[in-house]
Amino acid sequence: MIKLSRITKHFGRQQVLRGIDLTARQGEVVAILGPSGSGKTTLLRCINYLERPSDGEVEIGGFKVDCKHPSKKEIQTLRRKSAMVFQHYNLFKHKTALENVMEGLVVVRKLPKDEARERSAKVLEKVGLGAKLDAYPSQLSGGQQQRVGIARALALEPEVILFDEPTSALDPELVGEVLEVIRRIAKEGITMIVVTHEMGFAREVANHVIFMDEGRIVEEGDPKEIFARPKEERTRQFLKRITPEASYSI
Amino acid sequence: MPGAKFDLAYVFDYFPKLLSTLNVTLTIVGLSIVLGLGVGFLVALPRLYKVPVLKRVSEVYVSFFRGTPILIQLFLIYYGLPEILKLANVDVTRTPVLVFVVLTYSLHAGAFMSEMIRAGVAAVDRGQVEAAYSVGMTGPQAFVRIVLPQALAISLPVFANLVIATLKDTSLAFSLGVMEMTGKAQTLITVGQHFVEAYLVLAIIYFVISFALERLFRLLERRLLRHEKTENADRKRFGRRGSPSLRGLLAESASLPKGGSGL
Repeated sequence: MIKLSRITKHFGRQQVLRGIDLTARQGEVVAILGPSGSGKTTLLRCINYLERPSDGEVEIGGFKVDCKHPSKKEIQTLRRKSAMVFQHYNLFKHKTALENVMEGLVVVRKLPKDEARERSAKVLEKVGLGAKLDAYPSQLSGGQQQRVGIARALALEPEVILFDEPTSALDPELVGEVLEVIRRIAKEGITMIVVTHEMGFAREVANHVIFMDEGRIVEEGDPKEIFARPKEERTRQFLKRITPEASYSI
Repeated sequence: MPGAKFDLAYVFDYFPKLLSTLNVTLTIVGLSIVLGLGVGFLVALPRLYKVPVLKRVSEVYVSFFRGTPILIQLFLIYYGLPEILKLANVDVTRTPVLVFVVLTYSLHAGAFMSEMIRAGVAAVDRGQVEAAYSVGMTGPQAFVRIVLPQALAISLPVFANLVIATLKDTSLAFSLGVMEMTGKAQTLITVGQHFVEAYLVLAIIYFVISFALERLFRLLERRLLRHEKTENADRKRFGRRGSPSLRGLLAESASLPKGGSGL
């Protein structure tokens, strides 16, 4: 279980997060939506301390950290209990697909190399890249790179996988293959928090949707409810703009 | 004064004589590069991690050694350092000249190395570190396993330049009386007055070593950058296609930032 309590974040004088509470139960898929600048990505990065929250509490799998005075070790533990998939993939450029997945297992989890290799190959197989084990990131398409990114996160068997706009840097025709992989692992009961602009995906895959604006949670609940009958005016505006009802004909 | 009449026989005669001191030259280069790399790291770290006072110190150090001719640095350290050490009651009058020479070249190379390391590390995408953290690595693990290998690959062309520049700069060590190649050539000239022959042989030897080093570093670079699409990487880096020509190599080294001091 992931639990965030009263998370705030300042960048200098600007307050980006104004007290966020969020819970994701085991196996739940939480989608975070909202206009750009609403603080969704910052919130996600606060969970594994890539961004340091100014105040609040982060709890992953029963391990609780007070954001005011976290020790290096506590931050380390939070990071070991979570994994992240980045917007720009951030694969280790000098390592092959297989080595990218192995790296965390060998260096952080201290698995013997053979075991790590076997496990990594299996996970890459699962995301459909069994034939690309020895390819370097520069030799892969964006969609393939992102699938390696997902495999890297998945192999660590974390309590939660954090997805930071996993498809927004992809060419439109490559979005499908990545969403398909995420959809598949969501079915396996892995806890996920996903910041996304893919409304269709959020509606279909998420168990819980959070709508953020200006550093606050404006509305949250069941995706069917929120998409069909948004209660707040701000949510309505946003959904209207991002999912136009009229189609254009030329 | 004009020298003796050109005589090809002297060229052949001088080759083995000058090559006999090649080991001194290479010792200076080797030690200076290794020590310089160490110094470079130590100097780069405070600037990379923005350590308050040390950062200023390393900035001053770098701009001094980059901003003054190496010949003057040689004299300053050779004559100045013993004076300073005398104040601390350390007597260095019996220390071999070579020690001062290596010290100077190390400090000189170190200044350039620190800039090279700083630029290399800064050129590694921030996302790489974040990814390393996200899988649970510690700061040092992320630096050693992810940042450093990529920074080294980026820095290699600059490093190759530095090694070659240092090789050529060692020709100034004779001004403190070290019997390296150029020094040896000077004594041969004093005896025989065969200026052209001696300098011709010197030029050939320096060039052959530099050229060999260039090729060696190019191979190494290919290996370190094998993760980039090789074709693209080459074209991006050198702006030309195909196999390297001699003229291409010369043009390239002329356009690179540091090519030895020259008097």
